[in-house]
Amino acid sequence: MKLMIKSAPKLMMFILAAIIITSSTTSCKSKKKLAREKAAAEYAMKVDQAKKDLTAMLNGTTPWSLDEQDKRLEVIKSYNIDDPAVVDLISQVASKLSIDRAEAERLAEEERLRLIEEEKLKAAASKYQGIDDQLGAIATAQSVDGANSQINITLQQFATPDIPVLIIISKAGGYNDYDRPTTISKFLNYLKDKQSYQYKVEAVKRDGLGKITELELIKK
Amino acid sequence: MKLSYLWLLIIALGFSFSVSAQDELSSERKQAVDSLALEKVRDLSKYISIIGSKETPWSEANRVIDRAEELFMTDSEIGVSSLNNPDKINYYNIRKYFERLMRLNYKKVEIEWYNIEYMSDLQKQPDGTYVGVITIFQKFKGYDAEGRLVYQDTTKKDITVYVKRKETQIGGRLIGFWDVLLGDMRVKETTK
Repeated sequence: MKLMIKSAPKLMMFILAAIIITSSTTSCKSKKKLAREKAAAEYAMKVDQAKKDLTAMLNGTTPWSLDEQDKRLEVIKSYNIDDPAVVDLISQVASKLSIDRAEAERLAEEERLRLIEEEKLKAAASKYQGIDDQLGAIATAQSVDGANSQINITLQQFATPDIPVLIIISKAGGYNDYDRPTTISKFLNYLKDKQSYQYKVEAVKRDGLGKITELELIKK
Repeated sequence: MKLSYLWLLIIALGFSFSVSAQDELSSERKQAVDSLALEKVRDLSKYISIIGSKETPWSEANRVIDRAEELFMTDSEIGVSSLNNPDKINYYNIRKYFERLMRLNYKKVEIEWYNIEYMSDLQKQPDGTYVGVITIFQKFKGYDAEGRLVYQDTTKKDITVYVKRKETQIGGRLIGFWDVLLGDMRVKETTK
């Protein structure tokens, strides 16, 4: 009995140590497990989010710009997800983004060329507006004498009364289809007779003195 | 040597394809040519009204006759009818018709063309010429010195139209153009 009383503190210490060791081992084990579970959950979330994002990009339902989609794809790739569905989606999205990029570049180039052409047309329109106005004035003159007077003024801008006038009737299919060529003198009188000007100056050639040597019109 | 012949053949084929492609008309280009032919008939309408008008100075009328004559193929004829002699239609050559029109024995003449439209569309012929028929209605009114309407009629006329693609050099450039020429103008019916 005495022996038991004597050894009791030791026993208590032993039991206490055993409890501490056991509990700390258990705690360590559960922390690792928790960490593993947490990591697995995070990975699953990443995979799930990656699938959602990739599918949206593939279906074109994301509001992201092409640059933002490229960035997101790079981030998803950096996860090194080995899920076969994600790998397949990455490949499909990469291919789609490449096509979209090419199409966007093509559209941007088309828009650039359209703007250049628009600028050219604007410049040409204002460049030849004076000639258009003069030709229009012949057509709308109030009398034959008034028209003849306008014709004489207009003819002074041309090298001779016989310089050629070309009239484009169609530009379809990449071909310029013309009416029978005429001379400026005949054309100005034609405007007087028709009393309407349904053309627009398309091109003008001038000599060294600035006189017009060829006039190209397009039918409106 | 054989290779150069091959190149020549390829170039010739390419050139002939390009030429035939320009002659073959898409619907858009055909529409432009159709409109051009109609426009020539409208031009003639305007010229006839100017030549016929007693207010047109003689020199102007003669200038317009020259322009109007250029619209026609050589040897074309224009039919003239009258309600006073309904069974007889006289055909005149172009120049003579216009000169006669200029000298009509009225104090004032009004000529108006309307309903100008294709009766038969332009059809391509074996020689490449497109041929069609355009119908017009002409309302003629003649007044005497007192301003009284002494004669009027409405005539339906058919005009044959010939359209051919031609080429010409202008300023060192080869220009392909559609040459529209009017043929005979036949009287179909005359009513009051």
